[in-house]
Amino acid sequence: MGLPNHRASYSDQSQKSVLRVWRDPSAAGGLNMAADEALARRSEETNSVLMRLYGWQPHTVSLGCFQKIDDFSRASFLAHWPVVRRPSGGGAIIHGTDVTYGLAVPSSHNWSKRTEDLYSAVHGALVQELNDRDLKARMVEVVRREQEQNFYCFNRRAFGDLVVEHPIASSDCGNCKILGSAQRRLSGVVLQHGTLLLHRNPQMQGEGSHPGLGDFLQSKAGSVSDVIEGWLQRLADQLGSQLIQEQGFSYTKDNEGIMRRTNRYETAAWLNRR
Amino acid sequence: MEKSRRYAKSHEWARLEDNGSVTIGISAYAVEALTDLVFMQLPDVGSTVTAGESFGEIESVKAVSDLYAPISGKVISVNTELPSQLETLNNDPYNSGWIISVQPVAVEQLDALFDQEAYDKLIGG
Repeated sequence: MGLPNHRASYSDQSQKSVLRVWRDPSAAGGLNMAADEALARRSEETNSVLMRLYGWQPHTVSLGCFQKIDDFSRASFLAHWPVVRRPSGGGAIIHGTDVTYGLAVPSSHNWSKRTEDLYSAVHGALVQELNDRDLKARMVEVVRREQEQNFYCFNRRAFGDLVVEHPIASSDCGNCKILGSAQRRLSGVVLQHGTLLLHRNPQMQGEGSHPGLGDFLQSKAGSVSDVIEGWLQRLADQLGSQLIQEQGFSYTKDNEGIMRRTNRYETAAWLNRR
Repeated sequence: MEKSRRYAKSHEWARLEDNGSVTIGISAYAVEALTDLVFMQLPDVGSTVTAGESFGEIESVKAVSDLYAPISGKVISVNTELPSQLETLNNDPYNSGWIISVQPVAVEQLDALFDQEAYDKLIGG
């Protein structure tokens, strides 16, 4: 089931590691999901922790693995949007003004042991970075069941979600979620997906519209790029690893494996599976 | 006397029944590790499962996990009540929390799985 084989605690073994990160170009939904899957398999094969950051072009709706396609169809204002189904769970995300990450951790690695530990590492690193820039950010610790059920990921609240408290935060929760993640635990590797909202998407209105990091940052606190650089370094530090930012893409677009995976994520059978 | 279970490294259990079928579920350890379960997708009766390959999926609040078949065979029964009563997995993972029953292709495949003692050692219990 992609679960660890020991009741070991998160930090009971020391592993000096490397965190390799790629900045991939914006791409369509099917290719992005295929590239994440390829990253996961590469992580398993090389027994290494790999991460890719990427955007979405065109703007796309991604559905959680088990969300009903009918729920998407009922949201008539989304009808003209491209849509893809993720292999990970969670709610629908409106992509286009965000940065998404795929983080692949092999099962042999301590970081894969407990679901919540990997969330805490990734989200906690960003909380620290934002707090140091005088932005009140924290991870959600207590949730009500109904807060986990909304169609939209960023209207949900689940353990570990990163929220900011700010005067422009107008949600029912009194805060704004800007980073949410979900995992796919495969045999041999854990793939954690996450989306960091950067700005409010001008193409969205209503309950699917949310402000992002850049809407909260004061100019003196630095740019969105500064925050992301700091976040990656803190993540590497928190995981006790060396950060290596790779050049080029994490995948080769004309690679047969990528094309095969992309085709699968673009089939009606995958999209309409539920 | 309770029939003996065998376990896959991926935390599914398999139990040979008197009629030659094999009942499959997931271990209490796996249920505990998955935490809050919210959805489960199971195969259809009549489909085939292959040892080591995914036969279903289970979603907790923060993670989706594949269910891997501990043995190959044809699915002859599915616990269709389980997806709407996932708490059964927490309460009784080895009996009413069974997931599928298969007619095995080669019952000898069970020999390759862990016995209780070895599985307990695997999970550090």
